[in-house]
This record gives sequence, structure tokens and C-alpha cells, in this order.
Amino acid sequence: MPEIFINGHPVQAEKGQTVLQAALANGFYIPYFCWHPALSIAGNCRICVVQVEGRSWCEISCNLPVTDGMRVLTDSELVRAQRKDTMQFITLNHPVDCGICDKAGECTLQDYHYAYNGAPSISREPKVTATKFHDLSDRILLDNERCILCSRCVRFTREVSKSSALGITRRGDESLLRASEDGVLDRDAYSDNVIDICPVGALLSKSFLYKARVWYLKPTPSVCPGCARGCAVDIWHRKPEWKLRALDPQQNTSIARVTPRGAQGPDGPWICNKGRDLARIFERPRATAPMVKGKPVELAAALANVRSLIAAARHPAALVSGWGSNEEFAAFRAAFGDTFRVHVKHDHRPEPGEVVEDGFLIRADKNPNVAGARAVFGVGADSPPAWHGDTDLVLVWGEGCNFADLPRGAAVVFLNAYLAPENGHADVFLPISIATERAGHYTNFEGTVQGFAACFAKPQGASDAQALFESLATVAVATP
Amino acid sequence: MSYTARPRKQYWNEPEMGWWERVYLPEILRGLAITGGVFTRNMWRWMTGRKGALTTYYPEETRADYARNNRGKHILTQRPDGRPQCVACNMCATVCPAQVIEIDAAFDPADPDHPKYPSRFEIDYSRCIFCGLCVEACPEDAIRMVKVVPDLPSGDRGRMWLTLPELLSWSPAADVGKPYPPRPAGGPPGGEH
Repeated sequence: MPEIFINGHPVQAEKGQTVLQAALANGFYIPYFCWHPALSIAGNCRICVVQVEGRSWCEISCNLPVTDGMRVLTDSELVRAQRKDTMQFITLNHPVDCGICDKAGECTLQDYHYAYNGAPSISREPKVTATKFHDLSDRILLDNERCILCSRCVRFTREVSKSSALGITRRGDESLLRASEDGVLDRDAYSDNVIDICPVGALLSKSFLYKARVWYLKPTPSVCPGCARGCAVDIWHRKPEWKLRALDPQQNTSIARVTPRGAQGPDGPWICNKGRDLARIFERPRATAPMVKGKPVELAAALANVRSLIAAARHPAALVSGWGSNEEFAAFRAAFGDTFRVHVKHDHRPEPGEVVEDGFLIRADKNPNVAGARAVFGVGADSPPAWHGDTDLVLVWGEGCNFADLPRGAAVVFLNAYLAPENGHADVFLPISIATERAGHYTNFEGTVQGFAACFAKPQGASDAQALFESLATVAVATP
Repeated sequence: MSYTARPRKQYWNEPEMGWWERVYLPEILRGLAITGGVFTRNMWRWMTGRKGALTTYYPEETRADYARNNRGKHILTQRPDGRPQCVACNMCATVCPAQVIEIDAAFDPADPDHPKYPSRFEIDYSRCIFCGLCVEACPEDAIRMVKVVPDLPSGDRGRMWLTLPELLSWSPAADVGKPYPPRPAGGPPGGEH
């Protein structure tokens, strides 16, 4: 373990680390644009310069391996002057349109400008203009004037998503980021990660474009339910203190964007494009009225109906949702014991055109918690379920069940969050909450358990499945 | 612990009372005389049908003697074609201490000089405190406060929102119709850039 000195403080660095890594790991901040912990070293932005004591020049710390006894200065006179020069060089042709830039507020260039430069462009020539709002793919817009040519996105498509979809053409101040071939970035299932790793506002998400300034939003830690991988994500939604009163109130309770949550999950700092579109999964018309045989009733009446159905049934079965949380499975188990013959259901299956499985993150099982259900109930997801011959009651929990496949003549109790034609066909229908409206844990296919928090309040009329199971429990426990 | 009495704090504008003030009653009578004088003068003017009484019968009557730089209702300045100068950057909404400004932004790919514009811009006058910080925060001189006060008397707070068509209704011949982006100083006059 080489010992180095940063600004005179002794620091234990790991062998093979660079000065930048050792400094960041020990609480010394060195600015960086092009360096990214999960990508290769490019060393082209020159903002991470440090000075080794005794030398009269600066070196880039992202590509400077530590050696024993090295004495590094991160804030010397020379370093500060060099940083300011670098910032002036980078912002020489920057359009400074922060007012209409979606990155403003979380932009590295903005932060560093205030920290290390603070002066407007020193160019005496008119600023070089380039294409703005260039259609890079059907999900991403590119603003070449804002681009600082750090090449993070280029390295991402080469090293992580392996599509080699991006490259830099031409030279000097005419350099342009461009797609390598038409449509390659459209086919890259991880393309939206380049929006996150862009240190400036050059790469913009079309779905988030001008939707909200980022300081109006807050992230809630969550788990992507898109497949069995269960990537740790942040769901960004409007802060309660910035609640809209006159404009569409839907904006207060909708998902503005989804980003990967650092490197805490099993996935590293990346998520696939499906995970970015959780709004498409969650923001569908919701069912809010309990029904008995298609007619809206009070929740208490519906529950009483379910109790009598359970009491009368001799061979009840349950189709348990692969989207339920571990807490809900435990509540189901505690409430009903062995009353039901349990089958686990795949609520979602791969849609046409969707990437079914790849060697990187995406899994073929499009449900977040089949592994958690298997751990609680001891059964996997069998499809179609092997029904017991005289099944006379089926409790269907969640979507993705074709009622025609249910045993003939069996009564159906249906728990669903969304409006669907089947809701009215069930003997008793109970509206439930969705994952963004409750907290819980999912177990992914590797057995990693991760928690998610509630972002929004439940709509009026919907209940948590866990509360429904608990209120139905007394009858079930009394029935042997 | 022992208690020590501290001297009473002295203020820079501590009132200094002379003997007549200390006596108290003459001051009370002097105050009554001032109030009574104003009352009788206004009463006399009103009885003789003359203008000049202090009461204005709002909203039928409005006072004409607002200060020149009175901060009244908000307006949005316009480009030569009548579209708002506003770029929907939300600086005004962010700085607003009463949080009464709400803006929906939209993307106009046909106008590369002004790609972001407000599709809705609403101000709640039931909560606005007329501080003028929105005008100071605006980087485009897009929002201003004019002399006249908003004419929004209502019994319902929900109806006291000013919307985009009203904010864009201010169009005197001079001082609107500015090109966007603003012309650099010393550039040729007239016309869109």
C-alpha cells in the first residue's frame, strides 16, 4: 500500500490507483469532466490537474498512478491558474443558455464555472455555432454547442453498451459528436445512460425535455420492477413544497424521470431504457371502486363478500402477483396460512419488440419479485398453473391473468390496480395500490433484497394489498 | 445561579418625552383634535358633493395618483410577432417568495433562437405580495410590473389567477416588439436578428 501525501496529509492509497481515485476515496475533491469511475481513462478535459511537489508543471491526476511517497498538491497557485485557464478554454464557445438547459442545476460545467472560473468567455471572435437540437435517436436530442467533447458518451457506447453508436467527427472547434450509423443508437437498449453521464446539457432526454427544472424535483429511492434484475433507481417527482396549484395537478403525482441510483444496486451505475419509462408502466388509468359482480360497492361490503366466499370454498387457490413485495407475501402467508393452494403468476411478459434477455442487465422474467414469492411460498412461477381438479375459488392478485384459463365454475376474487375489462367479470373486485404508492422490498433473481420507498399517496378508494390480506385474515385463520 | 438584573435595552429611537407629554391628557386631546379635524373636513366635502374625500369606491373607482414606479400587475413583454419574450426558465417562479408563479414550458423546434416558450403562465394574485423580485430575476426582461393594479375582485381565491392571454394583453406601441435574442449593443437598428 503506497503512502502518498495530498496537500501535506498522509493518505493510504491502493496499489494501481490513480491520484484522482486516491484523492476522491480519501475526501480530497479534484474536479473532473471526462473521467468516470466506470469508464476508461481518456484524459482529454485537463481539469483534474494537480502538481507534484518540486515540479514546475501540472499533471492530470486521472492518469497519474500513485507511487510511494508522492507529494501531491491539489490547490497550489499553479493548479488554480491552470484550472482557470482550462475552464476558460472549455467555455470559450459555450452558448451559456442555462436558462433553457435541462441540465442547469445539476450541471458540472455550471458548478465548476462558479468554483474555478467565474469569468465570461474571453474570445474576441464571435462564438462558434453548431447544430442545436440534433436528433441523435428517437429518445435523445443533441446540442453540439453545449458539448465539451469529453467523450464519456462515446466511451460508454464502446465499453458498456457495446453498440459503438457514437463517435466524434471533424477536428478542433468544429468537432461534432455524431451517431456512427443511422439507427444504431435507437437499437441500443442502454442509450439513455449517456444523458446521465453527460457532464453538461449536450445530451437531452426527449421525454424529459422542458418538463421541469431539476430543482423542483426530488429523487425517491426505488427498485425498477421492469425485470428480475431489480436495478436500484431514483424516481424523480415534484417536491411537495413546489406543488402546482393552477396547472395540471397530474404533474404533482407523476414520475418526471428515472435515473440509476449510483453504484449501490447490483447493476452498477447503469439501467436500461425500459427502466427510464416506468411512467409508461405505472401511469395507466387506475381502478378505484371495489365491485361485486361488476357493480360498485363499499369496501366493507366487498370484503364481507370475500370472507363468505373463502368460508364457503373447499378447494381455494391463489394466483400470487410477481409484483408483490416481500412484506405483502409475508402478510398473505400470515393471514391465510395454508388455506390457499398458491401459484405464482408472471404479471408481465416480454412485449413485442422488447429486448427479452441480454448478457448484461436485462432478464427474461419481466417481474421484479418472483424470487421473493418462491422464498415465501416455496413454489416457482408455473405457467399455466396446474389447477387442482375441484378448485372452486381463485384469488387472482395482479394483472396478466387470462380469466379463460381459470378453472371452470370457480368463483374469482380479483385484486388489480388498473382499469381492465376483467375487473367487472370477477365475482369480487378490489382495487389495490401500485409500487410507487407503498414501501417494501423486492428480492431479485440473485437473491439481493432491495427496498423501495413510497413516492405518492394512494388514489382515493385503492387499498394496499397488505392491508386487505390483514383485514381478511380472521376468517381465514378460523377456517381449518 | 444568582439573578442579576440587566439594564433595559436602549434603542436608538427611544422616545424622549417632555413635561407636557408626561402629563398625558393634553396629548390625548391633541390626538382627538387631529382625528376630528380630518373627519369633519371629509364630512363637509362629502356633504357639499365635492371630490377630494379620501375614500375611493373600488372597483368602480380607481385612484389616478399611483406613483410612476408603482408595482401593480404583471405583464409579459412581446416579440415583434406578438409571441412572449419569456423563455420559461422559471427564474421568476423560483425566486418568488410567495411561490405564486406557475409555468408550463413547451418546445418549439421551428424556432432555433427561442426553442423554449411558456405554454401556460399563471400568477395567483390571492397570494402575490407585489415584491417585484420576479422582475429583477428575469434574465430576458420578459416580465414587468405596470402601474395599474390587477382588477381581480372576487370572493373566490381560485379565480384570482392571471393567465397568459391577459399577461400578453399589454402592448403599447413603444417598448415591446423586441427581437430575440437581444441585439448586441451597437448593432444595426430595427428588424429581427
